[in-house]
Amino acid sequence: MGWLYRISRDLHLYTGLFISPFVLVFAVSAVFLIHGWIPGSSKRPSCRTANDLPIPSGLERLSGREQAKALRGVLERLNVRGEVALIRAIPIEHRLATLIVIPGREVSTELNLETRSAAVTERNPGIWSAMAYLHKTPGQHLANLRGNWFYMRIWRWLADGTVCLVLFLSISCVYLWAVLRAERRIGLALIASGAVSFLGLVYAVVK
Amino acid sequence: MSKPAGGPESLPVGTAGFITILACICLYLLFFVWLFALTGLLLNHSSWAFAQFYPTRKIAKFERPIQPLTPGSDYDRVRALMRQLGISGEVGSFESSENPDRLDFNITRPGRVYQVQADLKAGRAEVAITEFNGWGVVRMLHTFIAARSDDTRDGSHWFMIRVWAFAMDAVAAGLAFMVLSSLYMWWALREKRTAGVFALALGLALCVLFLSGLRWL
Repeated sequence: MGWLYRISRDLHLYTGLFISPFVLVFAVSAVFLIHGWIPGSSKRPSCRTANDLPIPSGLERLSGREQAKALRGVLERLNVRGEVALIRAIPIEHRLATLIVIPGREVSTELNLETRSAAVTERNPGIWSAMAYLHKTPGQHLANLRGNWFYMRIWRWLADGTVCLVLFLSISCVYLWAVLRAERRIGLALIASGAVSFLGLVYAVVK
Repeated sequence: MSKPAGGPESLPVGTAGFITILACICLYLLFFVWLFALTGLLLNHSSWAFAQFYPTRKIAKFERPIQPLTPGSDYDRVRALMRQLGISGEVGSFESSENPDRLDFNITRPGRVYQVQADLKAGRAEVAITEFNGWGVVRMLHTFIAARSDDTRDGSHWFMIRVWAFAMDAVAAGLAFMVLSSLYMWWALREKRTAGVFALALGLALCVLFLSGLRWL
């Protein structure tokens, strides 16, 4: 069993080291999301306008990733890159409102499809906001739109990978603990008290 | 069973105690970590058919007479009405109605949403209860605590949501402690430093890229 212990311990160590910055990002941003407060998120936005934009025909009629893809040319002209996080059409005014996000930067655009012009508002809330955004990405909403930017598709893999490695680390932690006979009693007591705390809390919140 | 080679007893002085503390925190938080890890996966893959909860929701309605409410803030009146109706949970944000005789609001708790529409003049309240299956419950446990940045109700949240939020803060602090103490213990292992630096640098570089680097690419 010695070889299994050594392999588990080394895998636990190196995967833990690799994943540790991600775990810190999720842990710190969880506190921000719980308390609805992100440092630096109140920085003032900068505004500009642009005209003569190459708005593709039929843009209003598209939806989801197709619409985001069709918008890329317009966004490049506006010098805006990132994940198209939201598209809201206002057909009666021939306008299209979008939100484009790079972690730590948010750009909202108001496209006027008739005049081919746009008002662009840019905010740079910074690294703490980036953590909160990455925590919530890809998330459960707008499944047909999200992942329209290459880097956010990579982040999706990293977020899933973080979960899988955290599960591996927790299971290998249990194994490494179980091997140590001297620590078994206190470990069992901790697992039991953790389970009681967890189930008790869940029961109180759900029931 | 014999002692495994290279166990904590062979670690540099000072780190064996850390390992015990680390294992203790990990074992205590095990179920919390599993809940948040697995529900995080579910939230990121909301199209997975086996974990659907919205199409199978159950809706029940009832109507009940209510006693006149004493004057007070909207939240005071909502809480008084909740007591009358025997409902507990987190009051969703709502806008004050222009009609003073109406009080409409939502109450949420994991797996259940109450929609209350009260006609104060007629002394009646209609309540619609939407109940979700187990997948809905666990998903809501992950997102239930998220406060809205525009929420101005200081101290007026449901008691249990504050307890749950405290527990989640503790889980986050526990995870952060585990990460930092792991780094300390790894650094004490001289023979593991080189490979460890490579693993840590790879993770750190990816994190920095996404947190800050993408803005400058």
